Amino acid sequence: MSVALVAVLALVPFAMTLRVAPYGPVLELGLAALLLVATGLVMPWRWPTIAAACLLVTNHALALWGTDAPVDIVSAAGFGTALYFLLQFSDLAHGMRRATVSAGVTRALLARLVVFAALTLAAAMTGMAAARPVSKVLPAVLAPLLAAAGALGVVTALALAVTGAGRRPQAAPPS
Amino acid sequence: MTGRVTPLALALVTLTGWILSLAVLTARADLFMAAVPLALALATLALPAPAPDYAVSYAISNDRLWEGETVRVDVEVTARTAVPFMELLEPLATAGALVSGRPRAVMALRPGQTARWSYDITYPVRGVHDLGTLVVRIRDRWGLRAWERRHVDRKRVRVHPRPTPLRSLPRPRRTQTSVGDYVSALYGEGLEPGDIRPFAPGDRVRQVNWRASLRTGTLYVTQQHRERNADVVLMVDTLAQVGTASTTTLDASVRAAGSLATAYLARKDRVGLIVYGGLIDWVRPGSGRPHHERLADALLRADVVFTYVAKDLKLVPPRVLPSHAFVIAVTPLLDRRFTQAVLDLVARGFDLAVLVVSPVELLRAALHASPVDQLACRLWTLERRARLAEIRRHGLPVVEWNPAESLEAAVAGLDRRRHRAMAAR
Repeated sequence: MSVALVAVLALVPFAMTLRVAPYGPVLELGLAALLLVATGLVMPWRWPTIAAACLLVTNHALALWGTDAPVDIVSAAGFGTALYFLLQFSDLAHGMRRATVSAGVTRALLARLVVFAALTLAAAMTGMAAARPVSKVLPAVLAPLLAAAGALGVVTALALAVTGAGRRPQAAPPS
Repeated sequence: MTGRVTPLALALVTLTGWILSLAVLTARADLFMAAVPLALALATLALPAPAPDYAVSYAISNDRLWEGETVRVDVEVTARTAVPFMELLEPLATAGALVSGRPRAVMALRPGQTARWSYDITYPVRGVHDLGTLVVRIRDRWGLRAWERRHVDRKRVRVHPRPTPLRSLPRPRRTQTSVGDYVSALYGEGLEPGDIRPFAPGDRVRQVNWRASLRTGTLYVTQQHRERNADVVLMVDTLAQVGTASTTTLDASVRAAGSLATAYLARKDRVGLIVYGGLIDWVRPGSGRPHHERLADALLRADVVFTYVAKDLKLVPPRVLPSHAFVIAVTPLLDRRFTQAVLDLVARGFDLAVLVVSPVELLRAALHASPVDQLACRLWTLERRARLAEIRRHGLPVVEWNPAESLEAAVAGLDRRRHRAMAAR
C-alpha cells in the first residue's frame, strides 16, 4: 500500500511539471527522477529518493522559468506537499518492508496527508494575503535581494531548528 | 528512550535550501511557495515534543520444546499517549526459523489503544535460545523526530533433542535395591518363580509348593526372584566432534543419550549422566520426571571444549558413578583419551557397553561425491573397523551406529553383543 502511495506521490510533481511544459527534455528529466524513485523503493537506500526529489524540483523550476508560466500558488503548494509526502512515505515504506502492518496505519497516514495539505494551503493563502500589501510598500529593485536574504534566513532558521531538536534533552522514558 | 532527528529532517532541510536557491535564481514566486510545506513541517521541530508513553508485554507459548516444535511469540503494546508510527523488531538468532508471521511490526496507536502482534518460530536443532529483546522505534506525526528503545524481557527457550522410542534396551547385569522391572538374581518378594527349598519357619503358606510337598511328604516352598531397578550411567564423549552444524556427531550422541535416558527412566531405573570432555559435567543417578528434565538440561549444555588434558574418571564422585552401575558410553571414537577412560572403567569392573556414533556417514553427506573423498571415507571406515576390533578384544560390547539409520536397531545390536560377550566369559 505504502509503495503504491509513494509511486502516486512521485507521479504528482512529474505530471504537474509536464502540464506546465510538455516538452521532451522535461519528460526525460522527469522520467529519470521516477527511475530514481523506483530505485529507492526497491533498494534499501534513502539517497535515490532525495536525489529524485531534487531532480523533480530542478525540472519544475526550469519548466517554469523556460515557459515563463503564470504564477499559480495552489499548484506550487501542492507541488511542495507532494514532495514532502514523497520523502516521508518512501522513508516509512522502508520501515514497513517485510513487517506485519497493523490495520489503521495506512488510514492514519492518509488522514495525516489530507490534514497537512489543508494546513499548507491555508498557510500559503495567508502568506500571500500578507505579502500583497507589503509588496506595494517595498521598492521593486530591492525584491531580489530581499528574496535571497529571506531564503537564506529561512534555511538557517530551519537548520538551527533541526540541530536544536537533535540536542534538546528528551522526556523521561516510559515505564 | 533515545530521541533524535531523523534523516528525513536533514533531507527536508537540503531540499528546502535547494528549492529556495532555485527560486532566487529563477525569480519565481511559486517556487518560494513550493518550499512552504517543507518549511512548515520542519518548523514543528522547534516545538518541544515529549517521548510517547506506552507499555509492552512479551509472552511465549512454551519454554521447553522438542527439536522441530514451534514456539509462538505474542507481543502486546498499549499506548498511554498517541503513538503516530511505531516500528518493532525482534532480532532473531539464525538457529530459529520463522514459520508464520514476521519478526517486524508497524503500528499506529491512539491513546489507550492496544495492538497485538504474534509470530511462530521453529527450532530444528537442540540448544538454549534467548528471546524477548525488542527494538522499538517511534516516529512523530511528521516523521522528523524518532525515539528508540530496547525492551529486554528475556525468555529462555530450551530446545531438547527429540527422543527416539526404544523398546529393547540392554539389560543391566547388576540391579539395585529399589523396586523395578528387572528380575534380580536374589530371592525375595516378586512374581518370577525361582528355586524350590524346604519349608522354614516364617515362610508364608501361599509360598508352599503343594505339588512338590505332596510328592515328597515334606513341605517345600517356591522362592521368587526380586524385581529390582538398576543404575544406568550414560557417558557422552564431548572431546571432539565431526560434521556440519546441526548434524555433528555430538548432536547425534546427545540425541542417542536423550533417547536412552528417556527409555531407562520409563523402566523406573535411576539414570545418571557424565559429559566427558574438556569440562566434565555430571548428573547423579536419579529417577522421575524432574530428574528427566535435569538430564535433558545437562545434555543441552553438552559442547566440545578443546583441551590437551586427559580427564581422570577417578575425579567423578562414587555417588555419580556407583560401582554397580551399568555404564553406556556414547562416543564417535575420535579421541583416544575417551577410549582409555572406557578401558579404565572396564578394568575397575564396571558393566559397560559402547555405542559408537559413526562420523564417516555424516562427513560423507557433507563432502562432495568426488572419488578422492569417497576413497578417503572408505579408508577411514577401514581404520575405524580396526579400532573397534581392538576395543572388542578387551571384551567390550561395541556397536557402531550410523545416525542416518534407526537407533533402536543399533541398541538392540548392543544388547545382542553384550549377551555374546557375557557368554564368551
